[in-house]
Amino acid sequence: MKINSIKIVSLVLVIIMLISCKKWVDYNPHDDFVITEQDYLKSESDYRNMLVSVYTPLQWINQVVPVGDIASDNAVSGGENASDVLSLQQIDDYSHTPVNSTLSEIWLTAYEGVNRANYMTQYKAANLAGQKVEFPGKEAMYGEVTFLRAYYYFTLVRMFGDVPLFTDKRLSLAESKSLKRSPKADVYKQIETDLGTAITALPAVQTQKGRITKYAAQALLGKVYLYQNKFDAAASMLDNVITSNAFTLVSDYASMFLATGENGPESIFEIQYSNTSPYYNWGGATRGQGNYAIQQCGIRGLNGSDQMPYAAGWSTNLPTQNLAAAYTAGDKRKTATVLDIEAYKTANPSFNITYQVAPYKNTGLYNQKYLPRKGETSGQVELNYLTNFRIIRYADVLLMAAEAYNRSTAANDVKAQGYLNQVRQRAFGNALNNVTATGSTLKQAIWDERRLELAMEGDRYFDLVRTGQAAAKINGFKTGKHEVFPIPQQEVDISGLTQNAGY
Amino acid sequence: MCLVLMLGLGVQSLFSQSVSLTGIVKNKNTSELLVGASVSIQGKSVALTDAAGRFSINTSLGSTLEISYTGFISTQLKVSKAGELEVLLDQNPASTLGDVVVIGYGTQKVTKISGAISTVKASDIEKLKPVRTEEALQGKASGVNVIQSGSPGSKPTVLVRGIPSFSGTDPVVIIDGIPQTLTDLNSISASDIESINVLKDAATTAIYGVKGGNGVIVVTTKSGRKNQKAAISINSNYGVQEVMNTIGVLNASEYGAIINEGSTTAGGPVIFPNLSSLGVGTDWQNQIFKSAALQSHTIAAQGGGDNMTYFLSAGYLSQGGIVGGSDKSRFDRGNFSANLTFDLSKKLKFLMNTTAVTLNSKGIQENSFNSVLGSALNFDPTVAVANTAANTVGKYGYSNLLLSEIFNPLTKLDNTFNSNLGSKLYGKFELQYNVIKNLTLSSRFGYTKYDGNAKSFTPLAFYGPLNVDNSMNADGSTVTGKHNSIAHEKVSNLNYTWESFANYNFKLKKDHNLETVLGFSLAKVSGNAAGATRQDVPFNSWEFADFTAATGNNTATNTNALAGYYYQYFRKNLSYFSRINYDYQEKYLASFSARRDGSYAFGTDNKFGNFFSGSLGWVVSKEKFFHADFVDQLKIRGSYGSTGNENVNPQFVSIVTGGPSYGSTANSNGYTFGDVFYPGSTVASAANTALRWEKQIQSNVGFDLVVFKNKFSLTADYFQKTVDGLLFTPSASLYLGTVPSPIANIGSTKSSGLDFTLNYNESIGKNFKFNTAVTFTTSKNEVTATNNDGTAKIFGGYYFNGQSQSVTVFEKGFTPGYFYGYKTAGLFQNAAEVAAYPKQAGAQPGDIKYVDVNGDGIINASDKTNIGNSFPKYTMGWSLNMAYKNFDFNAFVYASVGNDIYRAYERNANYSNKDRSVLARWTGEGSTNDARYPRYSFLDANSNIRVSDRYVEDGSFIKIKNLQLGYTFSTSNAKKWFNKARVYAQVKNAFTFTKYTGYDPEIAGGILDTGIDRGAYPQARTFSIGLDIKL
Repeated sequence: MKINSIKIVSLVLVIIMLISCKKWVDYNPHDDFVITEQDYLKSESDYRNMLVSVYTPLQWINQVVPVGDIASDNAVSGGENASDVLSLQQIDDYSHTPVNSTLSEIWLTAYEGVNRANYMTQYKAANLAGQKVEFPGKEAMYGEVTFLRAYYYFTLVRMFGDVPLFTDKRLSLAESKSLKRSPKADVYKQIETDLGTAITALPAVQTQKGRITKYAAQALLGKVYLYQNKFDAAASMLDNVITSNAFTLVSDYASMFLATGENGPESIFEIQYSNTSPYYNWGGATRGQGNYAIQQCGIRGLNGSDQMPYAAGWSTNLPTQNLAAAYTAGDKRKTATVLDIEAYKTANPSFNITYQVAPYKNTGLYNQKYLPRKGETSGQVELNYLTNFRIIRYADVLLMAAEAYNRSTAANDVKAQGYLNQVRQRAFGNALNNVTATGSTLKQAIWDERRLELAMEGDRYFDLVRTGQAAAKINGFKTGKHEVFPIPQQEVDISGLTQNAGY
Repeated sequence: MCLVLMLGLGVQSLFSQSVSLTGIVKNKNTSELLVGASVSIQGKSVALTDAAGRFSINTSLGSTLEISYTGFISTQLKVSKAGELEVLLDQNPASTLGDVVVIGYGTQKVTKISGAISTVKASDIEKLKPVRTEEALQGKASGVNVIQSGSPGSKPTVLVRGIPSFSGTDPVVIIDGIPQTLTDLNSISASDIESINVLKDAATTAIYGVKGGNGVIVVTTKSGRKNQKAAISINSNYGVQEVMNTIGVLNASEYGAIINEGSTTAGGPVIFPNLSSLGVGTDWQNQIFKSAALQSHTIAAQGGGDNMTYFLSAGYLSQGGIVGGSDKSRFDRGNFSANLTFDLSKKLKFLMNTTAVTLNSKGIQENSFNSVLGSALNFDPTVAVANTAANTVGKYGYSNLLLSEIFNPLTKLDNTFNSNLGSKLYGKFELQYNVIKNLTLSSRFGYTKYDGNAKSFTPLAFYGPLNVDNSMNADGSTVTGKHNSIAHEKVSNLNYTWESFANYNFKLKKDHNLETVLGFSLAKVSGNAAGATRQDVPFNSWEFADFTAATGNNTATNTNALAGYYYQYFRKNLSYFSRINYDYQEKYLASFSARRDGSYAFGTDNKFGNFFSGSLGWVVSKEKFFHADFVDQLKIRGSYGSTGNENVNPQFVSIVTGGPSYGSTANSNGYTFGDVFYPGSTVASAANTALRWEKQIQSNVGFDLVVFKNKFSLTADYFQKTVDGLLFTPSASLYLGTVPSPIANIGSTKSSGLDFTLNYNESIGKNFKFNTAVTFTTSKNEVTATNNDGTAKIFGGYYFNGQSQSVTVFEKGFTPGYFYGYKTAGLFQNAAEVAAYPKQAGAQPGDIKYVDVNGDGIINASDKTNIGNSFPKYTMGWSLNMAYKNFDFNAFVYASVGNDIYRAYERNANYSNKDRSVLARWTGEGSTNDARYPRYSFLDANSNIRVSDRYVEDGSFIKIKNLQLGYTFSTSNAKKWFNKARVYAQVKNAFTFTKYTGYDPEIAGGILDTGIDRGAYPQARTFSIGLDIKL
């Protein structure tokens, strides 16, 4: 009897166990307090939070700006010796190969931007659970998303030429190695589409500084047209920005590059940085809120009195004497662009300046626009400079419009001169240096003006390539090869992409 | 000694008449019934005992019966009357054939085992007096590689049969049936251990399924016997530890001369114009090595009554550290154990094992060039020990040359304050219900509860007036912006396993014996930790170093003054298992086990996995045709099966909201609009639903041979194992972005090896006994795949010598963790040689020539190659036990052959001290061509310090690990006080024979860190005396 009952109880227990056991190893990430994609995009704030992080990779493609000048006749890569920041040295020397950490970082991070934007468009109509989340301003918000995707693709296409193109979703591991490079023209077409969408959706004014506006989208689209030599379309698109009268040239050119000049009346699109979230991950030096490129411009071992405004840096992005010599007398942009440290030291004896002469490729000059300044960083000082990158300024729009009108099918040199001379008058503080040339002389004048106006802002190399001047102006530039950078070797190896010609 | 009890002892009869006799044969120690024992008369077998241990015969009065059983001492008795006999056989101490081995969910007679198991018995462990149990496995359990560390209480490297992976290679530890980890072996008192069995092949480990892949260490603790009078034993041991040797570094004058040379050859000034004033200076090693006490004391009682048994013990162990002494580096442990069994009824038995442990340790910075030991090797020898400079606060001298990274090691020690208190409770509750004869249901709840409370204090420190790392100025004031700080951490975890299983042993027909087990197991590991840090401890003093006394509060400019964190984790497993052991007359053996394991960590596609294994054995010596009488036993074994490893966490597509990421791909969030930071959210991880465990297939063949009446025994095994599905991060297209790729099962390795144990026992006369054993372990390992295209490498063995260097790699086609660097080919003697050599940037005469391995005419990173292997080709242990009358002596020698060491403790800063080998440097053409001795200069354009075989040394060694001489007072001497008392003197690590120039060629670490000597804590030589008393 007793044994029987125990047997029955045991049997029942065993059966219960076997049934309930399977649940024992079930797992829900909620058990570990983890939010998964099934839990997300359920409210307006989820969508808005996710949009913020679509902006984030803008900060990571940081090195496009120094590369834009180092790869040109504007700057050299300096540093301590020939192997200091090898990736930039090789770009400077035109000995760069597909193995280049700076280039693969740009490639990788620009694609993260694309994937982040894609994830939002993927779940625009309905979230993963199939729910529709509608809220006022959603369309306008998606204008920012498509602008950002366009900007990431524009970065990729002007750096690398033909690149893999996808817009439907964030790629998963299953899609690894599945894509081929799409022709440059297709990529540009997608950029135009995305910017068109953005222009329709975006407001003219955003309350938060640094948010994308309709004008930023128009200006970028104008630039994209220019890169494809679609001058007519560029002219009218850029005119939208100019005729809106939303922007003016800042009278004091140098003030624009101070912290107080950020997001000013001339600013159309700036990549925002700040020193309020100190970051210390050297494993991803550009992935915080600070601007890594600032430290690169600094003067080595710089010391001086408290009044001396600059902080020390690495001297790995130095303006050339060639650039300094390009400015004519009276051009106020020269001292706002290049700092001659010896001259500065002599002019300011009270600062008691001591510094180390740049050990390699010294030019004696430093990038005044983005020089590290005291009090503008925090935490791990090298990584946290607050300085924004001025990506599209009104002056750039005027010069682009000038070029577009000069090169339109129905050229309008009068308009072109007008736009160009607005920029020159601000630079010289008078109309004495206005350009009156026309035709191709005017075209060259506009191109030269772009260098002077936008030097050390990361556009020079791309302008030289776009306008066909690169081979003439850059030592080591090989036509048919150096118009684009090599596809990162790792990507070629893993994904089987074709390499650019000559690499 | 043998004792025979005869029931109904009567007057001996001289008449020869036939009587009927029945008997029962039992193990004298355990009262276990002995089945199959042989009963013979005048050498002729007349009966075997049945399943109940009984026999019955007809014989004549006065005849002599001999009762024998394998592994036991045979006994003879005269038949004096009819009736019933109880025969108690004593186990033959020289034989292991009577042993019962604890295997997964049951026990098995060693003679019936067809898998591969290594056993270490209590007697061996007692002699060694180990701090950690693993020490007793080193060289004693074949097939197991143990690489010890000198840091008190720290975990050694333990590898059972080869190197399956680059991480997660610890074997699972089962203590009295309860799963624990290797880390937990710090809290078991060695004197509580009855035996340790290491399950090595798939046949024995497969029943542990997904946990069994790295081997299983089964620890069985002592227990009492029924109706045993209380046996009380007291053990006490006190010893002094000291460092075995120091490393030759430059003395002050030599240092000055070399620094001058380094500076002037680099175009700099003479640093020490007056060399003669320097003298020998300070050897900092002598300042930091201290002698430290090692003591252990235990008291234990075991016994039992009619319905219960008990084993009770209490122990205390304290090991001071030789680096810095007991004040700064130590490991203390207190143990209290109670193993109890109760017969609740005839059929129901309750077992309860409980052990409470307190752990108390202190540590110092270890294992880097700027650790305490590293600083002693690298610090400026011209500095005097005491600080004599006026108006400076420092107690110890400082360097005016070394201004960062490396400090006076005494100052470093002086500023080291920490404590780590732990308390652990582990044990089990088990019910055994004997349903019917030979069918037992067991239900066992095993648990381990740990609570740790750690604290460390970083005081403000002054390292010298010019030192950049000062947080205190020379006048004792605080450097602006610096703070002292206190950090607390409390960890708590609870792991439990509930297992229920049935054991049913039965016979089919007469000779087919079956032992079966079937059961299931539920396991959960869970834990959490919380910590807090706070700045501004009053008076910069350890006395007030506590969160409650510290005064730091966060401000806008200092957000680190007060911080805290918390995290939690858990793991869950569910398993079903079964095993059938079969034998036919103990002659043909077979075993089959199966386990089905479910893990919470795996994707829905692979939630459960099945593991099977089988083994066969043939006891050749039991065959009728086998006529070699000198052979006591010859058994041939073979096994094959699969096990696993679940080194993985669950995967999911998570969304993270916030700011910067400090993860592997820095997949940050958030953006600044204007000057305001806005957190953002994005996809932060990806899932791989195909994730599964690492699967291991192992095959084993071996044999056991016992000859010459148990005098010689040899057990040898050969194994092959392949591990498939090692977890690696696959190479993914870069255009997928910066979300970390989920790990996938894409790597594989294979290992093969041989292990054997040879034993020899001898008695000469009555008084001299002798036993010696040799173990041999070897394995060959190779990585056969990493990722799909074989390009993935895992780098490790990082150290710093001016640049961050990595020495070890886990890479396809090589042994795991091999040393990866440049091969050297002597030194450039003159400029012509440099010019004629393949292009080597920066090379000058006197610099090292590196080999152009790929022959492309240029020396660059693609010439890096295999330059060594930190794991030994083979290891051997040799133990010797001798007893003469009341004296006993034992020695244990351990040898490791073919293990390379990478010397990485030199910082190579301009002003850091140097190894004496620099005195043999190249000084001009023809002075030397040895690549270890390049020219010395502050400028090193050739990078002579790059990772190369210059720093690789042969770390093979023979260590006399243990020497012990004891004397036992015979009972008659002091009968009233004790049953047995033994005094002994012991020397541990008496001597090391090695060519290695560092402290200790045993350098423990993970697979990628083993053998990298960054100033590893050396093992101490210990002289001790002890007393063992049995009351």
